[in-house]
Parts: sequence; structure tokens; C-alpha cells
Amino acid sequence: MDSCLTIALSKGTLLKPTVELLEQANLPCAGITADSRNMVFSFTGDPEIRYIICRPTDVPAYVEHGAADLGFVGKDVIVEQGKDLFEMVDLKYGYCRFVVAVPAEDKDLKLQDLNYKRVATKFPAVAERFFRANGLQVEIITLHGNIELAPLMGLSDVIVDIVSSGRTLKENNLVELVSIMDSTTRLVANRVSYRTKHQEIQPLVEKIQMIVKGGIIT
Amino acid sequence: MKNRQIPKGLRDFLPNEVKNRRKLEQKAIEVFTAFGYKEVLTPTFEFLEVVETGAGKNREKLFLFMDREGGILSLRPEMTVSIARLAAMHLKDSSFPQRFFYSANVFRHVQPHLAQYREFWQIGIEMLGASGPWADAEVINLAVKILKAMGLDNFKISINQIGIFNSLLADCPVSPDEKDNIRNLVEIKDLVELSRCLDTLPVPDLLKETIARLPILHGGLEVLNRIPYVEKNKAANEAVEELLRVYEALQAFGVEEHIVVDMGVLRDLEMDYYTGIIFEGYSPELGYGLLGGGRYDNLLGQFGFPCPATGFALGMDRLALVLTNQEQEPPHYILGGKNLQVLAARADQLRHEGKIVELDVEAASREVLEEKIRDRDDLIMIYLDDE
Repeated sequence: MDSCLTIALSKGTLLKPTVELLEQANLPCAGITADSRNMVFSFTGDPEIRYIICRPTDVPAYVEHGAADLGFVGKDVIVEQGKDLFEMVDLKYGYCRFVVAVPAEDKDLKLQDLNYKRVATKFPAVAERFFRANGLQVEIITLHGNIELAPLMGLSDVIVDIVSSGRTLKENNLVELVSIMDSTTRLVANRVSYRTKHQEIQPLVEKIQMIVKGGIIT
Repeated sequence: MKNRQIPKGLRDFLPNEVKNRRKLEQKAIEVFTAFGYKEVLTPTFEFLEVVETGAGKNREKLFLFMDREGGILSLRPEMTVSIARLAAMHLKDSSFPQRFFYSANVFRHVQPHLAQYREFWQIGIEMLGASGPWADAEVINLAVKILKAMGLDNFKISINQIGIFNSLLADCPVSPDEKDNIRNLVEIKDLVELSRCLDTLPVPDLLKETIARLPILHGGLEVLNRIPYVEKNKAANEAVEELLRVYEALQAFGVEEHIVVDMGVLRDLEMDYYTGIIFEGYSPELGYGLLGGGRYDNLLGQFGFPCPATGFALGMDRLALVLTNQEQEPPHYILGGKNLQVLAARADQLRHEGKIVELDVEAASREVLEEKIRDRDDLIMIYLDDE
């Protein structure tokens, strides 16, 4: 049987801590660095391990379709895409949170005041769900980056975005109104791989769980 | 330009795909028939009341429309509910068990992607009027036999008994809302949120641990020794016993190499009528399940005819993705010439011998015909000159 594990890694800020975690779990990952131009890394062994380095937002697709058996990706991406994944372990790093933010002069607004406002975001599903759950109707404007620009230019009244330190908000004279949810990196698995490659995946998952809990790997 | 498009999630099948499809279907029918299953057909659409009786209130997944008398109609999202209705309407006086199979297109309003269409084909069976582990095992055995008959070897059937999870959940001293939340988290396999959620609830530690572990418990019979809380709960214990007896029956059928005990199989995301043994089939070549089924002892009762039942459905579209057609085709001839009477007689003679014969209805010359089929190495040309 095919004893090859394919693991999708998010490129960008999550790559470094992910590779460190893999090293701690004694997985081969020599040469996987942010500045490498390779997108696929293969390591022979039992099981043979293959990594795909891709955009964070593409990791759920690779895993859902079974092109990768496992993936390392932020909860922010998972929750926005709503893909059918097996969410195995909270890896704790890559912390950020979804917030509703408004221009500083609107800092005294209540959530209820946002009814029928325009909301710019990279995360339309998260934003829509949040406002709807709070009984609000808003107009969602989906952008692909630099969300903080939208209220400055009058494109939207409000933004929904992820922040970690909150510095970007401050620099653009925005303030956090409400925090929607926290996000950290997760280990996800394909629903079928989890079953058909259980022998390879389960020990790996247990090892990673141990490391996250602060246990020592021998 | 709508006259050159088809609605989202649908597709056309070209001759090769249809041929492949029909062959798979034919093999399935042979196996079903050999086990005494008989084919039934039901209407392509039903009253919404019928569909919702079994499939629950999941209207956004249904294709709904009105008839002119004011009834709300739904394209069938699956076949089991329709067959339960059929049995309740027509078979009250029959002797049981009754064994049925079907091959039908079903419709769900889902986000289309590879292996997930809005119109897709299912073949499946329903065994009505039989309870007990042998009946469950026959149906699972048949699922194994079908996949094998279609040429698949590398597959697993994950089996579970839904009563194990249901009775553990019932033991949690929490509100119905919180129970729904736990169930949902187990179903969507969000283990991270599940353990976080359980941590905040006043659930006994042993029970907490057992529920958190269920979704990843997977393996042979030894799995059943790793659910410690079960001994405290009579219903859960009985469900485990039943699973054990079905596993033994599957050993007797000689198919246990394909069977995995998997506490993570719940199937509620699909349909919420299951009451006992449930199972799903997987192939490592495809990131999606191939088949699924289980026992639904309360469904027929909702149509006024209480009767135990079990069955499964197999997704033909997904199966076609993992199987490649290796069968030899009979020789395929193209017959050209100028004298139709001679050609017709020769064509019929060859067809009688089991060959596939196309007549060159354009009556082309030998040179033209040769040129035309130059790239078609599947065709054998015969040219009959006037003699």
C-alpha cells in the first residue's frame, strides 16, 4: 500500500514555527525555508514524507480534496472557508483574532449601531455569520488585502479583519470595537486519509499533541 | 448565451463515460440479484412532507418547486426515504424481509466540486423487515462484494453503532442546546473546539474523556476496549455488544479484512434517520467517502408502518473516479463500399458473430475512407468492392 504522507504547509509567517514543530517531532524537513523557491519537498523513509508549500488559503483545498493528507493552517482560514476537514490539534502558535474595527472617531458606537453599514473584509463568511448571529444586516464588501484602507477612503464604515498586535489598526487610526473570535494554527487531516492512513497519521498526531502540551519527545 | 450552458453542478456524459457507468451498474445489478434483491423505482420528485420525514429539516440542500395544486415538491435527495414510503404504501401485507435495490439519480443543492455534483447517481439496497446482526452484516457484506465486483481492492468499510455515541451524550448533564453543540462538533470533527467545549461543561471526567476520544477511535475490535465509560451505561453497553455481534457475523462472511471499527462514523451530517449500525466505505485513492448506510428502524414507522430496516447507497460518480476501465472491447469494424445490399448483408453477418459494425453511410471511396480513419486505431476497416 501507498505509505506516503503528503503534508501541506502554509507559506509565510506560519512556515518557520511549523518547521520547528516538525523538527521537534523528528520529521525530516531539511531545507524547508521561507526563501526556498521549491514548492514540493520529498523525503524517503517509512513513511515517505512529501511537503507541499502553498498559500495559507490554499491549504484547506489541498487537504479537503485529498491532494494532501495533513495540513498546517490557521483557524482564521479554516473558519472562513468552511471546508470539510478533520481538525486534529490546536498548535497554539500563529495567534491572531478576528475583530470588528471602526475609525477612531466612531469608537463609541455600539454593535447595534452597525445595522445596514458597509463592512469591508477579506473574510466575508466570518463577517456575515457574525453580524447575522447578532441580528444585524450589513453590506459586505470583499477585498483582498489592505482592508484598513477601506474606511480611510470612504469605501466602508467598518472593517472585519484579523489582528495580532493591533499595530496596523493603530497606524491607520482604527479602533477595535468587538472581538469576534481567536485563531491559532491547527493541524488538519483529510477525512479519508485519516482512515486509510491511520497507521501513519495517528502516531504523528499523538507526537505533536505531546509537544504542544509541553511534553518531551525522546 | 444561456443556450450554451448547463446549470451549476450538472454535467453531460459522453459515450465513453456512459459506457463505463453502465458497466459498473450492470455488475452491481448482477451481485444484488444474486443475493435476492429486486429493483424498485420511485418518482423523481416527491412531496416535501415525504422528504422531510426522513431527511430532517435541511431545506437549503433540497431543490424545491411548487405544483399547480399548491403542493411543495422536492427533487429526491436520496432514495431510502422514498423506498420507505413505497413500502408503507404498498407492502403492508407482504411477507418480510423484503430486499430491494435501486439505481437512480438524486439531487442536492450543494457546492459543486470534484466528486460532488448537484445531480448524482446512486445505486443501493434496502433490506426491510429484518432486525438483528445477520441482517446488518449481510448488507455490509454486500457493500464489500459490490466494490470487489467493480474491481476495487484497496478499500475499507468503517463500521460503528450510533447508539454508543447517542447514549453517552444522553448521559451528559447538560442542556439540549449544549448537546446539539457537542454532537455538531463531533460530526464536523473539530477536535480542538470539542475538547475546549467539554472542558467548560459539568460532565464527569471519564465521560468527557470518552466523548473526546470517540472521533479518533479507529481500528480492529480492540477499539471497543478503549471506551471506558461505556460500562456505566446500559444502552451504550448494548450498542457495543451489537457492534461486536455484527463484526463476528462479518468474520463469518469472510470479509473482515475490509472492516474497520471506527467510532468517528456518525453519518448524521447526511441524514438523521439512523438508529443502529452505521457504516461508510473509503478508498485511499479518493478523498471522499464512496458509500454509506446503516440501520434505520424508526423511519418506516413515521410513514405509519413500523418496520426495521437497513441498507446503503453507493455514489457512482465517485466510484467512477477511482476505477479505470480495463475491459477488452469486442472488435469494432467500419464497413465501406458502394453496393448497399452487399454491405447490409455482410454487416448483419458480422454483427451476428458478436462484432460491432458501423456502416459507412457516406458511401466514400476506399481512399477517402482509409484517410478518414487513419488515426482511429480502434477501428478495423473492411471495404467491399463491387465484384
